[in-house]
Amino acid sequence: MLRIMLRHISLLILTLFILSFFSFSLAYLFPGDPLVNLTGIRDSSEQTYALLAQQYAMNDSLFSQYWHYVNNLFSGNWGLSFSSGLPLAEEISRSLAASVELSAYALIISFVIGLPLGFLSGLRHHKFIDYSLLSASVIGYSIPVFWAALIAILLFSVQLGWFPLSGRISLLYDIPYDTGFILIDILLSDVPDKEFAFQDALRHLVLPSVSIAIVTSTIVLRITRRSVVEVMNSEYIQAAYARGLSPRQVFVRHGIKNALIPILPLLVMQFTTLLTNAMIVETIFSWPGIGNGLIQAIYQRDFPAIRAGMLAVSALVLTFTITSDMVIQIFDPARRRPEDATS
Amino acid sequence: MPRLNLYQEEFYPSPIQNTWKEFKENHAAVVSLYCVIFFIFIMIFGPFLAPFDPLQQHIDFLLVPPAWDNNGDISHLFGTDGLGRDMLSRILYGCRMTFGISLLLVVVSMLIGVALGAMAGMSKGFRSSMVNHLLDSIMAIPTLLIAIIIIAIVGTGLVNSMWAISLALIPQFIHQTRDIVRQKMKKEYVLAAQLDGAGKVHIFFNSILPNMAEMLVVQVTLALSVAILDISALGFLNLGAQAPSPELGALLSEGLSTAYVTPWNIALPGAAIFFMMMSINLVGDGLRSALRYRLLR
Repeated sequence: MLRIMLRHISLLILTLFILSFFSFSLAYLFPGDPLVNLTGIRDSSEQTYALLAQQYAMNDSLFSQYWHYVNNLFSGNWGLSFSSGLPLAEEISRSLAASVELSAYALIISFVIGLPLGFLSGLRHHKFIDYSLLSASVIGYSIPVFWAALIAILLFSVQLGWFPLSGRISLLYDIPYDTGFILIDILLSDVPDKEFAFQDALRHLVLPSVSIAIVTSTIVLRITRRSVVEVMNSEYIQAAYARGLSPRQVFVRHGIKNALIPILPLLVMQFTTLLTNAMIVETIFSWPGIGNGLIQAIYQRDFPAIRAGMLAVSALVLTFTITSDMVIQIFDPARRRPEDATS
Repeated sequence: MPRLNLYQEEFYPSPIQNTWKEFKENHAAVVSLYCVIFFIFIMIFGPFLAPFDPLQQHIDFLLVPPAWDNNGDISHLFGTDGLGRDMLSRILYGCRMTFGISLLLVVVSMLIGVALGAMAGMSKGFRSSMVNHLLDSIMAIPTLLIAIIIIAIVGTGLVNSMWAISLALIPQFIHQTRDIVRQKMKKEYVLAAQLDGAGKVHIFFNSILPNMAEMLVVQVTLALSVAILDISALGFLNLGAQAPSPELGALLSEGLSTAYVTPWNIALPGAAIFFMMMSINLVGDGLRSALRYRLLR
């Protein structure tokens, strides 16, 4: 177990190091003068230029520049955004929280829909209900997420007026920033119309999270179905039947647990799909998340924001995947790769 | 004397015939195979089918609804957009662009990915293990993010977004090829070839590649649907194909400006992407289950 942890932690440190180096080199890769890219100050006088160069340690060797950059990263000094002039560390942590919130609700919805339906269709393998669920899942899987979101807006906000068009909460409510998760913030705060604010935030959440969940829940359904089919065909299930257990007992005692184990690692791999879809959907609904922020940053050529945002998102994704891979390998010895066993 | 064939009834189908027999049982997959062939047909003959030039503006026909609407006009089957451009021609050209570019990208990244994956799979030791682990973690970074970074460096545009997407597709192929090559390297027919003195290149092309071709086809269908989604998503976000070009995602984002008056201008291009992805996904699914069950019957 110590071995697995060491392997994963060293892998994590190595990838994070490569990422930080890459994001450092982005300042040189972006078109234009690196210092202008970092500060956003264009036609500065020679004096200010020299001052800024000193501030960013531009005159030193590349290595010490990198050291300076990493030190700044750890001390929370991520630079300033061109467009808003605010410190990026704060801006990115806010938008990242918004994105994580949206994806988390989408994930919950897709588990609630996908898991039971997946079990249902796996247990009725090659029967009518299995085929109909599978075809529905192909439809859900193939809908481009931006198109689904646009159709949802046209239908539910413009035609029917059930849900608001965009944003996170109505401008009438002023929710103090605390955890970054709007629903929790509302509960913690002491604004006068707490219930109405909560309802309003929920109504804002429905369309974006459902349009992300369309794709994710079909993926959950398909993975669950595959795993249930494989488990129910395995020999220990036949042995359980041979011992005279009823189908219900077999499923509850042996089926569920064993079917759920292989689902988890496959779902972890879908985390990136979820995040990509969330990033696209954010721009459509003007959700103040990291995807929206990054794309706005590209439109405005806000290089420090692109650099810091990219680093934050990829570090989050990598930490998540590597940690969950580690947890899975610790708790499920069957998943350990053969190369780990031999070396 | 004519050669007698006593065992006429004993026919052993080849693996590919087996797969096709199993695939034919799945009607949805067969229908979607025809759909894919139809899209390939459009890709090649689109310009001959399109009634108008996709960029030609008909000033007398602005925002005409589709022909099945009461106010529609049969000369513009899918209606026109805000500048009077014929939607049918734009969608035909759009399918051509989106599908063709995705196909091209997938083939290019397959070639690169398989080459790198074969090298990774056949090498051993600490270095290959490190490369493999790094690759696994890089695969976790979303395609869109990689595309955003590349576009931030080289600027927006269709060609730049193509670079981004093919770079993002390559790791999947490397991963898949590497895993398969690892598996096959332990087989006895590879050992036999090794004992005969075959070199690594010979083993890969003669023993391993024929055995992984089918999995590669399945992977291509997966990558194709990802590529279509990414190309159109980038076009939709104005990061890929730029405005006048009839790429399906760019068509969608152009339709947004008149979405309240002419909802079909976003419904139709989106439906085209949807059908393209659905037929490819169904063919991929059918192929995968055909490969899985072909020996069971």
